[in-house]
Amino acid sequence: MSETGFIATCRLVAGKDLHLEWRTWDTSTSSLVFSLVVLVIFNFAFDLATVRELGVGRLVPGVLWSVIAFAAVIGMTRSFQLEQRHETLSALLLSPCDRSAIFFGKFVANLVKILTLELILVPLTAVLFDYDLLAVLWRMAGLLLLHTIGLTALGTLFAAIAVRVGRGEALLATLLFPASTPLFISAVKTTGVLLGTESTTSVADWLTLTAGFDLLYVFLALLTFEVVVER
Amino acid sequence: MVDPVPVNHRSGFWFWPLWTLTTAGMAVAIGLVFLYVPDERVMGAVQRIFYFHVPAAIVAFFGVFLLLAGSIGYLWTRDRRWDHLALASTEVALLFCTIVLVTGPLWAKPAWGVWWTWEAKITTTLILWLLLLGCLMVRRYAESREVGARLASIVGIFSAADVYIIYKATVWWRGQHPVVFAPDKAGGLAPKMMHAFLTCMPVFFLLFALLIFVRYRLACLEDRAEAVLDRALEN
Repeated sequence: MSETGFIATCRLVAGKDLHLEWRTWDTSTSSLVFSLVVLVIFNFAFDLATVRELGVGRLVPGVLWSVIAFAAVIGMTRSFQLEQRHETLSALLLSPCDRSAIFFGKFVANLVKILTLELILVPLTAVLFDYDLLAVLWRMAGLLLLHTIGLTALGTLFAAIAVRVGRGEALLATLLFPASTPLFISAVKTTGVLLGTESTTSVADWLTLTAGFDLLYVFLALLTFEVVVER
Repeated sequence: MVDPVPVNHRSGFWFWPLWTLTTAGMAVAIGLVFLYVPDERVMGAVQRIFYFHVPAAIVAFFGVFLLLAGSIGYLWTRDRRWDHLALASTEVALLFCTIVLVTGPLWAKPAWGVWWTWEAKITTTLILWLLLLGCLMVRRYAESREVGARLASIVGIFSAADVYIIYKATVWWRGQHPVVFAPDKAGGLAPKMMHAFLTCMPVFFLLFALLIFVRYRLACLEDRAEAVLDRALEN
């Protein structure tokens, strides 16, 4: 398969997923409403007085990344459950194209969906927990993108596995959260630095670790996806 | 129709020598730990857990290497025997991880004053425990042994690749685990303690080998039983 074929397939698969999402708002609504509920619960757990006492940087990163992680799990499971329910995955697999390209297409679609979700969630945490998002906007965007790539790569592959064995979100969370511990630690640490409580010395180390994690897992997932969907 | 996996009956020959060696070794190790080794000056008797805790941890992480080898070997060759190795090492590594996670807090409570701390090595072991459990869950939920083997291999490869990164991340995050063997010091252990430790290490590896061996043979037999059942159903 030539390289244009790979990219063309990715665009087709990602385009199909995103188009479907655009028409139905099926996954986004459920993950968005779910994350709102979780955010509200966190607000009860840590009210504004506690937040001010602890400092925004100590609390918000943890809340933000927990919400993103839970919402991402819902979205990624859904993207394979839909395929499974309508037997469309078999159709995709029958088409004469590279299976890693199918994976990459799904990965890109999931990435776009989760980043869109973050676009709503992050400003919302700024409002609910009262911190100045505009001051750190671009660095925050960079952090979110870097950490979401690894989370989505690993999550898309594990979602395919979880749905393949007939389990949904619970199994995906069980597989994904332990495996992505380094990502979460890094995400919480670096977001904490951005919001001004942690010292800034080790940020470069964390970002290097995350970039390495992203590359390794995108590569490994591309390599192994074919085995997951094999009939 | 699944072909019966031939069981190499001669391999059963190794069971008794291995069993005898492990049992004798374990008796010697227990004797050394409880009778020969002196009490540690500060921590007292509870320090004796160290002789089981550390070898169990080393053996568990060795099991992860075997898991990686078995998983890659299976995906590469599709030979069921690699998968039996992967399955055996997952379960046995899980067992040793459990030993580490149980003996650790037992020691930590008197020594550090807390049952649990989110320190790098402990956290890594706990996450490894969860990852191994994930491998077994995927295998169990799959519709057939073949699919289970394939999916568990993938989770196994990802988990094994992850262990070092998790360790690195948790070290940067925080750390306070006692370092007994610092490379610059000439051993932090008294000679008698060193003798006991150096006995426990190979004994735990023997125990590990024995368990892997038994589980591997059992997996072969399970495959064979399934093949026989398939044939009976076909007729």
